[in-house]
Amino acid sequence: MGAVLLFPATDAIGASCCGGGSASSLVLPKFSDSMIDISFDIETYDGFWDQGGEYIPNPEGSDLMQYRLNSGYARRFGSRWQGSAILPYVWNRNNYTGIRSSTDGLGDAAFSFWYEAFDNVMCIWKVRSLEDLKPAAYFGLTLTVPTGLSPYDDIGNSFDVTGRGFYRLDGTVNMEKTIYPWTAGLLLSYGTHFERAVNREYGNYIKPYHKTLGDRRLATISAGYTYNLPMMNTITATAAYSYLDEASGTIDGSEDPATGFKKRSASVTLAYATMDKDKIYKIAWNKSINSDGWGENFPTTGIITLGASYVFR
Amino acid sequence: MSFARSISYIFLLSIASCGNIIDDLSPSGEDKRASIEIGTEGFGVGQLAPDFTVSDSLGNEVTLSSALTGSKGIVFYFTMWCPYCDSHQENMQSYVIPDFSPDIKFYLVDYVNDSVENCRASQVSNGYGNAPFTVLADTQQKILTSFKATMGTTIVIDSGGTVLMNEEYKKTKLLEILGGLQ
Repeated sequence: MGAVLLFPATDAIGASCCGGGSASSLVLPKFSDSMIDISFDIETYDGFWDQGGEYIPNPEGSDLMQYRLNSGYARRFGSRWQGSAILPYVWNRNNYTGIRSSTDGLGDAAFSFWYEAFDNVMCIWKVRSLEDLKPAAYFGLTLTVPTGLSPYDDIGNSFDVTGRGFYRLDGTVNMEKTIYPWTAGLLLSYGTHFERAVNREYGNYIKPYHKTLGDRRLATISAGYTYNLPMMNTITATAAYSYLDEASGTIDGSEDPATGFKKRSASVTLAYATMDKDKIYKIAWNKSINSDGWGENFPTTGIITLGASYVFR
Repeated sequence: MSFARSISYIFLLSIASCGNIIDDLSPSGEDKRASIEIGTEGFGVGQLAPDFTVSDSLGNEVTLSSALTGSKGIVFYFTMWCPYCDSHQENMQSYVIPDFSPDIKFYLVDYVNDSVENCRASQVSNGYGNAPFTVLADTQQKILTSFKATMGTTIVIDSGGTVLMNEEYKKTKLLEILGGLQ
């Protein structure tokens, strides 16, 4: 029986006002050949934390939503190596009392390579030795490609934005240990954006400059419980807590005050898997905490994710 | 496996065929600004700013000429009361306005609310009730449209009505341009 990794929707960064549509990660179970994964995110924007961390609700009467259809494919290249690609398609729906907008486009794509530092399935039923406590460890690199529509391309206004416009490389360590029925996980990630030239903003050509976004750090801890159903099918409930921050970016070397942020969020995921783990269905709810001090300079959102995966062996 | 391969091919083809819905993956730093006929009316740098008449968040009528009266220039910042806007507004309030007010007038242009009352409510709930900005209720998006602006757009107009800046907020550039008006 192989472990099934379904990262909670923790690093999906989206904002009707500042881009979004980033994909999350996709990891193959051990001994499987490939996998397709389709998920649909429904993200509701409640308000934001200002630069001092104070929570401010959206203007009265506003209704801001982003929907993302994420298409993913993962493939094994060796017993310990695998790669994946995720491409989101994004719909922005922004309704204020004075203006309405409905736009769509590709989001930012993510391409990942993972190394698995183990050869056997690391999920166990009983601890018999110290060796049994060794977790499944994954080391990954993810390149985010700015396929989404960014403010620096030929778009009409901020409502059209579906991507951030920057390449980013993230290094991730993910450790997970399952001693049935319990699972504990820790994910740590560090990412850096690549500087780019900008010669237009929202379709208008301007005097060119160079811009980059700040480095980002993500930490997620999770705990799960697996219920065994008849026919050896399973339902796994996972709760996770995430901390994400991104340093300020620069414009021609000077700090850009609009770009740094911090965000804390919690998520709950229910995943149903068939006996041989070839079909997985999931529903997840991710929520940032709408209170002072739980984030800075970032929208507060709730995300419901519905997803399905099929594993080829 | 053939099914999996098919899916991956469809995936790659969908990226390749996205055309104008995909961002420019190798952005250019080339200066492509079109030449502008100085003195004509328009939103471009060097053009004469188009006139407008709107209400501020307290119900007072504001026109381009009334805004320019008695000042060395004006600054518009287009806000939708979002974190991105808030960070710019706070930055302007801390690092720009103290050196240039009252010679230069600073305006937030709210283009997302449908009434002066809602505009005022957003101003207060976002902590700008007593801030050194006048908030304009652009309920019909007239200013937004005539300046081809969007969230974060910052516009500087000198006392003669000429547009000196029309792009996303950048503190260094704004300071440089306002310094030239003193």
